[in-house]
Amino acid sequence: MTAPETFLDPALLARIADLPLLARTVVDGFMHGLHRSARKGLSLDFAEHRQYQPGDDLRRIDWKAYARTDRFYLKEYEADTNAGVLFALDVSGSMDYASGTVNKFAYARILVAALAWLAQRQGDRVGLATYAGTLVEMVPPSTRHLNLVMHALGRARPMGEGALPPAIDRVADVATRPGIVVIVTDCYAEPAALGRSVDALRARGHDVLVFHLLDRAEETFPFDASAVFEDGETALRLPLRPDEVRDRYLGLWRAHRQALERRFAAAGVDYVPLHTDEPLDRALYAFLDHRLSRSRVR
Amino acid sequence: MGFLVPAFLAGLAALGIPLLMHLRDRNEETPTRFPSLMFLVRLPIRTSDRRTVTDWPLLLLRALAVGLLAVAFARPFLGRAAAAGAAGRVRSVVLLLDRSLSMGFAGTWAAAQDSARARLAGLAPDDQVAVVVFDEEAEVAQPWTKDKALARAVVDATAPVARGTRIGAALRVARSALVSAPPGAPEFVLISDLQRSGLSGVAGLALPKGLPIAVAAVAPAVRPNTAIRAVQARRVADGGRVQLQVQAHLVTRDLPAPRAARITLALAGREVGVRTATLPETGELVVTFDAVPAPGTAVEGRVAITPDALPGDDTSRFTLPADDGLALALVLPDDVAREETLYLERALAIGRAPSVRLEMRRVGALDAATLDRTAAVLFWDVAPPGGPAGERLGRWVEAGGGIGVLVGPRLAGRRGALAGVASTAGRADRTPAGAMLGDVRDEHPLFAPFRGAAAALAAPRFFRYARLEPAVGADVLARFDDGAPAILERTSGAGRAVVLATAFDARDGDLPLQPAFLPLARRLALHLAGHEATPLARTTGESWAPRVLRRDPVVAAPDGTLLRPTGAPADAAVILQQVGVYAAYEGRADGVPRARVAVNVPAGESELVPASPSELLLGVGESADSSIRGVSAPTAVELESRQRVWRWFVLGAVLLLVAESVIASQGWRGRARRATLVPPERS
Repeated sequence: MTAPETFLDPALLARIADLPLLARTVVDGFMHGLHRSARKGLSLDFAEHRQYQPGDDLRRIDWKAYARTDRFYLKEYEADTNAGVLFALDVSGSMDYASGTVNKFAYARILVAALAWLAQRQGDRVGLATYAGTLVEMVPPSTRHLNLVMHALGRARPMGEGALPPAIDRVADVATRPGIVVIVTDCYAEPAALGRSVDALRARGHDVLVFHLLDRAEETFPFDASAVFEDGETALRLPLRPDEVRDRYLGLWRAHRQALERRFAAAGVDYVPLHTDEPLDRALYAFLDHRLSRSRVR
Repeated sequence: MGFLVPAFLAGLAALGIPLLMHLRDRNEETPTRFPSLMFLVRLPIRTSDRRTVTDWPLLLLRALAVGLLAVAFARPFLGRAAAAGAAGRVRSVVLLLDRSLSMGFAGTWAAAQDSARARLAGLAPDDQVAVVVFDEEAEVAQPWTKDKALARAVVDATAPVARGTRIGAALRVARSALVSAPPGAPEFVLISDLQRSGLSGVAGLALPKGLPIAVAAVAPAVRPNTAIRAVQARRVADGGRVQLQVQAHLVTRDLPAPRAARITLALAGREVGVRTATLPETGELVVTFDAVPAPGTAVEGRVAITPDALPGDDTSRFTLPADDGLALALVLPDDVAREETLYLERALAIGRAPSVRLEMRRVGALDAATLDRTAAVLFWDVAPPGGPAGERLGRWVEAGGGIGVLVGPRLAGRRGALAGVASTAGRADRTPAGAMLGDVRDEHPLFAPFRGAAAALAAPRFFRYARLEPAVGADVLARFDDGAPAILERTSGAGRAVVLATAFDARDGDLPLQPAFLPLARRLALHLAGHEATPLARTTGESWAPRVLRRDPVVAAPDGTLLRPTGAPADAAVILQQVGVYAAYEGRADGVPRARVAVNVPAGESELVPASPSELLLGVGESADSSIRGVSAPTAVELESRQRVWRWFVLGAVLLLVAESVIASQGWRGRARRATLVPPERS
């Protein structure tokens, strides 16, 4: 039997082009190793019936409804359906980078697809907003929009200069119904400005989860030879001798990370740094934790 | 060391490629992408380092590898001298010693002798040596010998002579000497001041392939000198007297400062004129002496300036022939009218120095005695005779005589050849406008009076003239404005023949009435008589044929040596070896000489500008002369051994490239390469 981690290895997943299949593979692989009790204790307030889909837990089938209609229905509860999850995916040029085998955007797309599948499976309404300098595409959260989300993800291409705070402001404007906003980005923005935008989301009643995608090269700056460096977003070129600037660069980088953590903590936002070479399970756990905490709050 | 294919050395230019690669911004065209430079742009960066070489070891390795490959492809080989030396072969050295006049410059000859002695002292006991001394000519002064003392004695005994330089002749004699060379590695040692004027004749010379030539340039780069380049002397009519006017043309070069000089003129050994002048540092100066009464006999003169470091060119001698008049025979047709030749007779009667004496003759009366008396024969509208008289006339022309044919209406009316110069082809009628002369070759001596006054020749109008067709070898000196030849000339031996398409009368044109007529008629007479052909002086190395001597000629050289001219009787000549005045006698060398000629040093010897040794051998080719011992073609093994060095160059380049690969892939260089070569992945 294949180990569950295999399904979550980003290097392996990056080779799968079919996003729905990819998302289902991830979620099933993840759920297979997950203890069943993790899903118990959710709200028991009945909300509606939902038609059975392969893979659903047979124990949740409403047998009485089956007896009446001769069709399988599952009972949905309040906590399952009441949340709208809007994935805000950064598609700026800086996401198109890889020092290893998986680039940040591919990783982010797998992550969003998997999370969307997971959310849909849990009965959440899913939507997608892609942005770079401004909002690129918007799929409003809905229980029937998973396919649209998948298609939008498939169409998305990382390019252009990013402007994260105004883009998030724009997401806040269009996401009027409170829900969960999952921001997937590489956080190339001033922490203060980013914090203000997240504050605006929080003020509108959204729960915010930020996945900060990181490439190892961004954290170590492993270059040695003199070279001309090109900005992934602006195409600005800068001739550099890495030996001379590495220490100062890493100092600025660490300060940026710490500022982000502090600012997001102050805003009551979950901040999850993710490296492109680490399995997806940590992200899924983080999402479920966040989802559970919201359920408990409700 | 040399190269078989030196063109490949151009590949050394590729040394710039590694340098450019190291200097250019690395990966400027394929830069290293990074998600965001938002942190890096905040850092102060020293941009001055962008264009500096940051990896000297790799640059040197790469440049050295490229250089070795270029040199290897040029196929280096070891020189023959090195190979011969390595094999311990005996040398056969030809010592070429320049003894021309310019070597007499103060200090130069002593340096040349010292250099020659040093070369001889450097030879091994078994080495053979031959000594060739040369000026304009070269001779083997010492045949092949191992006895260096003999060669040294030749060097000690040799002294500069007043003659020019021909290094080409010396190299040819030395090459000939190699034919009899004993076995050994041949070598030339040239000791000379390498005068640039002495290089003529070197181009085209072929020397044995691989022959080493050592050049010892013994003269300093700058040698200040003053010389008399030329002397002009002529008789001029001054009222009722004949005066002699002399001009000296001086040249100076590289003097440290302008200097005053005293220039003297001596006639027949007696000083008759003095001039002082300030000579420029480098330049030319013309000194004109006061005119002096000219004797009617031949004049022997000398112009001298204050001697300098090269005294040989500070004196110039000249001889001026006797002013005994110029005899011209005018051959007339039988039906000539008295007034036809009136203009010509009157024109030639005017003028002195020389005066022209006309002797009228009919064609049948042109005998040998008449030819002996005259310097030129002018045929007035009558064809030169044929048959034996024509042959006699031809020989007379060959010996220096001149004939002229004036083609009037009689000659133009019949077809026929004229003195081998042209043939008549009818008569042109250009009335009433008339034709004029055009396309005049004014550089010809015949037109010397009209230089600068060309309009004078365009003034005469010719209403009728003969149509002439030039013979092969004839020069057209002037044409009419319709392109028809007007004046033609053909030289034959030492003489000349001139044909004019018109006669000198006023029936068919107005030439005798125009100002140009008098100088043209007189100049024609002088030119036919060869008056301007006798130079005032000759230079050493030339030959002189005293043609005035008909029997048993003997020539006295300036040092009193008696010489017998050699060659065909008409062209018997002597070689002028000495500076001074040669005198020619008939039978015995006493009394008044029949002819004299002054001999000076060649003007080129005063040009002391040296050439470089590489310039010397610029035009020298290579020959594979198997008759020359010791210069036989090397064996295949020897050839291979001489050029095998290219393999080591290739091996060195390969090793360097391997080292470069190892160094470039290790340490921080390798990490840098791996870190920057992964492309961003797109999904």
